[in-house]
Amino acid sequence: MFAEGLFIGFSVLSVLGALGLVLFRHPMNGAMSLIVTMISLAGLYALLSAKLIFALQLIVYAGAIMSLIIFIIMFLNIQESDLPEEKGRLTYLIGGSVVIIPITLFLIKVVKSIPNAEATIVGNGFGGVKEVGLVLYQDWLLPFEIVSILLLVALIGAVVLAGKRRVIK
Amino acid sequence: MIQNYLILSVILFSLGILGVISRRNVFTVFMSIELMLNAANLAFLAFSRLHESMDGHVLVMMVMAVAAAEAALALAVVILLHKHKGKLDTNVFSLLKG
Repeated sequence: MFAEGLFIGFSVLSVLGALGLVLFRHPMNGAMSLIVTMISLAGLYALLSAKLIFALQLIVYAGAIMSLIIFIIMFLNIQESDLPEEKGRLTYLIGGSVVIIPITLFLIKVVKSIPNAEATIVGNGFGGVKEVGLVLYQDWLLPFEIVSILLLVALIGAVVLAGKRRVIK
Repeated sequence: MIQNYLILSVILFSLGILGVISRRNVFTVFMSIELMLNAANLAFLAFSRLHESMDGHVLVMMVMAVAAAEAALALAVVILLHKHKGKLDTNVFSLLKG
């Protein structure tokens, strides 16, 4: 009963945050509402008894990635006049909703045909650091190494792109 | 109930698509993509809880790594384009037209 109430609270908060991201004009307000979504999603992960991913969501997503985005938004010093004038925003929103809502309803119908199960908290170390680490290093070793190469390439790419000091003639 | 988590994931993904197609601010488009990645993560974890297997958790960690790499590269590109054009409008950034 307590978990049901938590689920309802977190899901309402995350949908409100996502709506704020889509509707707010200034990107800083959008980033703040996205942080609300991230934190409430972390709560949902904890309800799904994914303990490690709960901590990673808070540290990596709500901490690192969002503070990077907010840092860049403040670094560019965006004023109200720098924002693109989105005159047809409501038209695009309504048109997009007309396309998206039937697909969403269809997907919800598909999801409802999945056999249902209670989402109670599982004990005995499900989703803990040790268990996830064992799966990661036994079954997913090659993808893990490929991810390390991907991060290296992204690091080099970011340095090459943003750190350019050459004067173009 | 696992189904409720999956329905929430579908709703968040649709809101992300709506943000990408209806907004013209680069940052909002980028954060909508992050929102879609998060919705996918929620679906992974819900299915992982349904089958009580840990593979979904590993996939979520991979998605987080991809999102971090994407954030670093995309923000570098946004800084460069803002330096060159002085605008944040996605319509200005149509440089790849043949």
